[in-house]
Amino acid sequence: MDKKDEKEKIGVYVCHCGTNIAGVINVEEVSTWAAENLKDQGVVISREYKFMCSSLGQELIQKDIKELGLTRVVVAACSPHLHEKTFRNACKGAGLNPYLCELVSIREQDSWVHTDKVAATEKAKAIISGGVSRVVYHEALEPLHVPIHPATLVVGGGIAGIQAALEIADAGFPVYLVEREPSIGGHMAQFDKTFPTLDCSACILTPKMVDAGNHPNITLLTYSEVEKVDGYVGSFVATIRKRARSLREADCTGCGICWEKCPKKVVDDVFEAGMGNRKAIYVPFPQAVPKYPVIDRVNCTYYIKGTCKACEKFCPTNCIDFAQQDEILTVEVGNVILATGWDLFDTRRITQYGYGRLPNVFTSLEFERMSNSAGPTGGNVVLRDGKTEPKVVGIVHCVGSRDKNYNEYCSSICCMQSLKFAHLVKEKTGAEVYNFYIDIRTPAKGYEEFYHRLLEEGTHFIRGKVAEISDATRLPSEEGKLVIQVEDTLTGNQLRVPVDMAILSAGLEPRHDSKALAKLFGISCSADGWLIERHPKLDPIATMTDGIYIAGCVQGPKDIPASVAQGAAAAARVMGKIQQKEIALEPVRATIHEEQCSGCRICNNLCPFNAILFHEDRMVSEVNPALCQGCGTCVAGCPAGAITGTGFSNEQILSQINGLLLLNVPKKQAVAA
Amino acid sequence: MTDTITFGQEISNLLHAAEGEPLKTCIQCGTCSGTCPVAGYMDNSPRQIIALINLGKKEQVLESNTFWYCASCYHCTVRCPQEINITELMYALKRYSIWKNRYKEGLIGPTFSEAFVKMIVRGGRSFEPVLATSYIFSFNTREFVQEIQGATELLLKGRLPLLPARIKRLENFRRMIGRIIPMGGLE
Repeated sequence: MDKKDEKEKIGVYVCHCGTNIAGVINVEEVSTWAAENLKDQGVVISREYKFMCSSLGQELIQKDIKELGLTRVVVAACSPHLHEKTFRNACKGAGLNPYLCELVSIREQDSWVHTDKVAATEKAKAIISGGVSRVVYHEALEPLHVPIHPATLVVGGGIAGIQAALEIADAGFPVYLVEREPSIGGHMAQFDKTFPTLDCSACILTPKMVDAGNHPNITLLTYSEVEKVDGYVGSFVATIRKRARSLREADCTGCGICWEKCPKKVVDDVFEAGMGNRKAIYVPFPQAVPKYPVIDRVNCTYYIKGTCKACEKFCPTNCIDFAQQDEILTVEVGNVILATGWDLFDTRRITQYGYGRLPNVFTSLEFERMSNSAGPTGGNVVLRDGKTEPKVVGIVHCVGSRDKNYNEYCSSICCMQSLKFAHLVKEKTGAEVYNFYIDIRTPAKGYEEFYHRLLEEGTHFIRGKVAEISDATRLPSEEGKLVIQVEDTLTGNQLRVPVDMAILSAGLEPRHDSKALAKLFGISCSADGWLIERHPKLDPIATMTDGIYIAGCVQGPKDIPASVAQGAAAAARVMGKIQQKEIALEPVRATIHEEQCSGCRICNNLCPFNAILFHEDRMVSEVNPALCQGCGTCVAGCPAGAITGTGFSNEQILSQINGLLLLNVPKKQAVAA
Repeated sequence: MTDTITFGQEISNLLHAAEGEPLKTCIQCGTCSGTCPVAGYMDNSPRQIIALINLGKKEQVLESNTFWYCASCYHCTVRCPQEINITELMYALKRYSIWKNRYKEGLIGPTFSEAFVKMIVRGGRSFEPVLATSYIFSFNTREFVQEIQGATELLLKGRLPLLPARIKRLENFRRMIGRIIPMGGLE
C-alpha cells in the first residue's frame, strides 16, 4: 500500500456543542494535544469551535480542505446518527470524497456519560486518536445508484391496501393488489356500521372496492398469495401463486346461477364468522370484487366423489373448468406495501367466558355479521336459536387484550366497537345493555361524544373485568340465563348479572402467519407478531428494509380512519420514490472475496436482509450490494474471513483500537498526556 | 440510604418469588374480586386491599378481615391479567399481621393459624383433638356445640385419631422449619 509513501493530511475538528461537550471536556486542551501528539499520524491542523455543525463551523472545515489540501477529516462531536451526513456533505462541498470524513462521538460516548472532567478529557483524546488512526484507511466511495421500477406490489386487499393501491394508481403508476381471499374488502366488508358516525360500512367501502376492481392501473390478483420475493428497493421480483378458481374468468359473467344450483352447503367460517352457510362454489358476499366465484375444492362434491358438476351443467357461458391449475406469476415492482391486517383473538382460549360451550356467548365478529342486514339473520339480533330476541345483553370488554395471560397490549378499537354494539342492540331490540369495562378509551375525533351519547341512551356501564360467564344458577331469577360474575369496582360489590346474550369484544391479533410474512419480505416483527416500523413516532410507515412499507393493522391494532391514513401515507412515500426514478444507496456494504469463500453458506442464513445469494455453479456466495445494509453480521460470521465490510475493514478496526489505546503516540508523550 | 420503607415495600418483601413491587402494577380491574368465592364475606375485596396497600393505608389493611377469609383457591392468581400472585399476598399479610401482633378483633383466623403452626413445629403432624381445643373456647355456645357434634361423628367413623402421630427425627425437622420461618415468639 502506498499509505506509507505518501502521508495523508488530516484535519481534526473538536466541537464544544455549547456546553454539552465543553462543560465536561477541556476542548482547547484536547485540540492542542491532537495537533502536537498526532503529528506523526498526519494531523496537520487541529481546531475547536463552539458549534461545528453550524454553517460557520462547516465553512471552517471547507476552508482548510481547500487551503491546506486536507485529504482526511476527523470531527469530534456528537453521534454519527445525528450529524455524520452534515459533515460528509461539508467535505463533499469542498471537493473531498464524503467517505473520507470520520465523525467520532465525544458527546454521547464521553461528556454525557461522565462527570470526572480530567478523565473525560483524557478519554476524548483517546477517542480522537482512534479516529485519526482509522481515517487513514478510509477509501473514497461512491454511492450506488439503482433505478426504481414504477410498479408497486400491495399485499392485502383490506381497506388499508385498497386505499394505498388507489392512491398510487390514481397518480398514474401500475399497482399489483394481491389478496388471499376470493374478494377484496377485508374485515371492513364484514361490518355493519362504523363508529362513531354509524354510517353503513358496505356503503362507504364498496365504491372503493369497485374503483380498485375497475382501475386501469390496478392488476387485481385475488385468491392469490405471494410465495417468494427477491431483489431490492427499486427492483423486487415477486413470485405470486394465483390459486385455481376452477373457472375461466374471461367467460364468467358473475350471474350467480352456479352457486344457486350447487347442492353442497358449507359453513362459512371466514366471511360469516361461522354464523351462516355458503355453497361449495361461492362468492363471499354479493358485492364481492371481482364478481367471479371460486370452487372450494376441499368441500366440492366433484373433487370428493368425482360426480355432481351441477355448476358446469347450469353455467350459461360454460366457464367452469374443473381441471384448472394454479398459476405462478412473477411480477417486477419497485416498492412493496404490506397491509395484511389482523386475526380475531380466539375467545375459546379464555375458558371461563364459555365461548363454544355456552351457545349464547358471541364473539364481536359474530355480532357484526348478526347485526348486518345482509348477514345470516337478516340484521335481527337474536339468540343462537335464531328467533328469540334477548331482553338483557352483556358486552364484555378487553377479551384477550390488556391481559398478560393472552395479549398485553390494548387492542384500541374494542371500546368503541363495544359502544357501537350497545347502541345497535338497544336500537334493534330495546334490550337492557350492560357494558363491562376496565377503562373506557375513546381518544379520537367524535369518539368521546359517542360515549356520552351512549350514557344518555341509558346503557349500563359497570367498571370491572368480567371474572366468569356461566350457566350455573344460584337464584330463581337467574334460571335459564347466563350469569356474568364481576366486581363493580366503583362500589366494591361483587355482582352476578343475569343476561340472555353475552358479546365478547375480542381483541385484535397479528395474522397467524405474520412471522412467516416478515421472513418472506426480510423485515422484522415484534414478539407479539406485529411488523416493526422504522421509527415508532417519526416513521411508522417504512420498515428497516428499504422499499418495503406497512399500512393498517399489520403494524398494530388500529381503527378504520387510522388504517386509511396509513395506507395513503404509504402510497405517498412510494410515489415519492417512484418520482425520483433512481435511488442512491449508502456504499457501506459487505463484499465477499470469491477466492477465499469456501461455500459453507453460513452467511446465507445469517443475513437479516436476504442480501446474500449463493452461486451453485461456482459454489461461492455473493452479496447483493443493493440489498446489503452494511450491518456486518456476515463479516463477523464468516469462518474463512472472506467477507469484508466497506468502512469496517480489519485494518480500519484494528488501527482504531491501536489509536484508542494510544499505541500510535510516542511512549513518553502518551504518559505525559 | 433511607431507613424508612413504605408499607407496600414491606409487604412486597414478604412475597416469595417476586421481584420489586408487583402490587404497583395492579390496574384495578377487579378480576380477583369478581372471581373470589368468599369475597362476599370480606370487608374489603382483594382489589381494594391492593389499592389500600398502594395508598399506604397500613391501619386499614391490618384491620381488614380479607386475608383471613382467603380460601387459597388460587383462582384470582390464575386469572389476574397482570400476573400478580394475589394468594401469595394474602399469605404475606397473614404473616405480617401475626408478626406485628396486629389483627382485627374477634377473628378465628389468627388464633387458629398460630395454634396450627405451633402444633406442627412441636409434633411434626397435625393432631385435631388438641388443635380444636386450642381455639374452640373462643367460639360462642352454638358454634361450640356444632363443632363437638362434627367431631363426634368423625370420631365414630374413625376419621379422627385418638393418639397424636409423631414423626421420626423431630429435631431435624425443627431445625429445617427454623431455617424457613423465623420462629420469633412461637417457641
